[in-house]
Amino acid sequence: MVTAESEFGPVLIEADAITKSFGGAVAVDNVSISVRAGEIYGLVGENGAGKSTLMRVLAGILSPDQGEVRVDGKPVQPGARAAISAGISLVHQELSLVPEMTVAENILLGSFPTKVGFTEYRKLRQIAADALAEIGVGVDLDERVGRLSVALRQFVEIARAVAKKPRILIFDEPTATLTPAETDYLLAMLRRLADGGMAIIYISHRIPEIFSTCSTVAILRDGKLVRSSSIDSLTPSQVVDQMVGRELGLDLATKRTATPGAVVLDAQGITAPKVNNVSVQVRSGEIVGLGGLVGAGRSELVRAIIGADDRTAGSVTLTHNGETITIGSYQSAVRNGVAYVPEERRIDGLALSMSVEDNIRLPNRKELSVAGFKVGSKTAQVAQLLADKVGLRPPEIRRDVGEYSGGNQQKVVLAKWLGRRPKFIVLDEPTRGVDVGAKAEIHRLVKEIADQGTAVLIVSSDLPELLELSDTIHVMRDGHVTGTLSKEEASEKSVMSLASGETIVRSS
Amino acid sequence: MSQILELSDAKSKGFFGRAGTVIGRRTEGRGIALLSVILVIVALTEPLVFSAYSVTLGRIALIGIVALGLTAVILMGELDLSVASTLALSGVVMASIPELWLGILAALATGLIVGLINAFFVSVVGINSFIATLGMLFALRGLAFVISDEAPVSLVNKEAGISFGEPLIGPITPRVLIFILVFIAIQIFVSKAQAGREFFAVGGNRQAARDAGIPVTRRIVTGFMISGFVAALAGIINSLERTTADPTAGSTVLLTAFAAAIIGGNYLKGGRGSIVGTLIGAAALGVLQVALTISGVQVPVQQIFIGAILLIAVTTDPNSLRSVRGSIRTLRQGRAKNSVTT
Repeated sequence: MVTAESEFGPVLIEADAITKSFGGAVAVDNVSISVRAGEIYGLVGENGAGKSTLMRVLAGILSPDQGEVRVDGKPVQPGARAAISAGISLVHQELSLVPEMTVAENILLGSFPTKVGFTEYRKLRQIAADALAEIGVGVDLDERVGRLSVALRQFVEIARAVAKKPRILIFDEPTATLTPAETDYLLAMLRRLADGGMAIIYISHRIPEIFSTCSTVAILRDGKLVRSSSIDSLTPSQVVDQMVGRELGLDLATKRTATPGAVVLDAQGITAPKVNNVSVQVRSGEIVGLGGLVGAGRSELVRAIIGADDRTAGSVTLTHNGETITIGSYQSAVRNGVAYVPEERRIDGLALSMSVEDNIRLPNRKELSVAGFKVGSKTAQVAQLLADKVGLRPPEIRRDVGEYSGGNQQKVVLAKWLGRRPKFIVLDEPTRGVDVGAKAEIHRLVKEIADQGTAVLIVSSDLPELLELSDTIHVMRDGHVTGTLSKEEASEKSVMSLASGETIVRSS
Repeated sequence: MSQILELSDAKSKGFFGRAGTVIGRRTEGRGIALLSVILVIVALTEPLVFSAYSVTLGRIALIGIVALGLTAVILMGELDLSVASTLALSGVVMASIPELWLGILAALATGLIVGLINAFFVSVVGINSFIATLGMLFALRGLAFVISDEAPVSLVNKEAGISFGEPLIGPITPRVLIFILVFIAIQIFVSKAQAGREFFAVGGNRQAARDAGIPVTRRIVTGFMISGFVAALAGIINSLERTTADPTAGSTVLLTAFAAAIIGGNYLKGGRGSIVGTLIGAAALGVLQVALTISGVQVPVQQIFIGAILLIAVTTDPNSLRSVRGSIRTLRQGRAKNSVTT
């Protein structure tokens, strides 16, 4: 087999003029791609550009309205089973594992080796062990999947796809939940699998990953293939521009108008699990960023500040119009104008089965009620106003939040709190897993919130985002603040050196 | 080979760490702890429970057999409230047919058909199983009354019934033997057979089960048919032992069977639990009931005990304890903050 990076084997899989629509909406419009053995083929596009739909067509889960999928030049019969036997395997984006079953059982779910209806456990464990060895992940075969970390579950999911002995492996945003180290490991694994002659299709929002790993990149926009070419012929900013089809202005063009006013939040000597004696002040109209590596204690710090978690020492005060309030519990914090957008918005931030309108209403119950009853017209009016303001697409407030994409869900979370005109807002990883277009809009909103005079505290592992938004950056490591940088001093390099504990630029 | 990403910590632990991991994977801990406590207390206060082991065994079998069938359904995250009514109906059906063997076959068929109907409503029509089987609970009980003309039906072949109550070997009556066989059969099915193992997938993550190509509807049908069949078996045993089939039979069985399954660590949302756990739960309840009866505690008071045991079992689950701690903390903070506000 050819293993050199530049020369690939024969074309393994071809999608020929695929068109797929749902109802009236065309999700994939006449798209053709072909991937060769040993190639890692990057697929990028905004949420809703049709990437997932195209991949589901390739994996036989959806049947195309027009066009066909060919493997080795031969058309693949419809259906997921036919696709699997043709050698196509899809690693799902949404984790689809059974938490109460073991690692081995999950890897072979639905295709247990059996003899007269009874599971052959030795064979099952052997196949599962082989699949894990192939991707180079050591995990106890008998551990229940529910007890594994999210990252490890993602690797079990990959082992499951590999166990089917695929020749074409499709990854749908596998790194969304991984730490940088785990991501690096995964990308190295992809290269190894490709070197072994597999054709790999890789979907990701993270442009740097695409450039570090893929040899070819295809850009989808509104269901159409905008461009497909060798990675060497494109720059990251060209890719982003073509994904969104407009100039994003991701640079510092959006100038902030307000100058920071009086101190609103004053947290002194905060100590909590994973947080050691940290003091933070945020002024009215100021955006303070918390930088650092995952696990540095940033989320723990903000949760301790707003009272969502216990603190063992420290005091927090909130000052507004000359009135100073001590923040004890989270409930008192919210009542006094603190808003918190947690990292796990699906878990903590939204009721997915409720409508946008009802979600927006949740923290604004008092204002939108008369004597405890919901005032429909008023709620709808306010909700619609807020939905338009945050750029929800489509702006239908009666739809369930669960039907929206991740970026739009984040906008609903912001809308929910915007309605309260908070004095102080905490945003923890506000754009994780969100596409480029929605990200720019969320950034615009965050700046707008600050310009209204709100004090903003933001946690972000996304360095460009942190640098763009923050007026001041505190960098944390092992529960301590290792340095404070002004907007002028801050650069990717200075933040990273503080986060990893090398040179201290200037301590506060 | 290539580098290995070692993310599992199980191997780095010592013997106790590994033992902890193994125990942490099991779901029966709660049941075992409770059973041990009950056994110790009973051994100290009412040792007669152990000398009269045939009575105790019989009691456990009565509670347990229905609970075992029920567990098959609970593992898939469904409920079967119709088991007690199925028990009564199948007993009445059996007693209404003069030929004993025909009667038994008809009763078993009744159980299977009930299971099919339940599964039809749950997986084809798509009704929540609580509601579907609640409907069946009423309908089948009514049917039992109609068939029996609202009075207990005596068995034609009384001798068969009387000899059925006799022990076979030692304390093993046919009832206990059937209970043991049912336990073994369901245990092997759930832990070894592919279809049975897939019950856990259907209960744990139904979408994942569908995506993996598991025939979810067929599994649900199988589960309800097991539950119905076992309930019918219990109805047959009951009627044979008493030589009459009572349309009101089994009214306490339903909730006791659920209690046994829950104490045994079965998670009502499905995907987590075990047949062994249900056996342990049934044993705990059986021993408790016999002990209370021997001590002369009235039946209503016994129910208070069972209720208390059930609540203790569920609240001492590590997950529940954690959430209780969390709630107490929130309450405390809520009060504290009012006093700090300046």
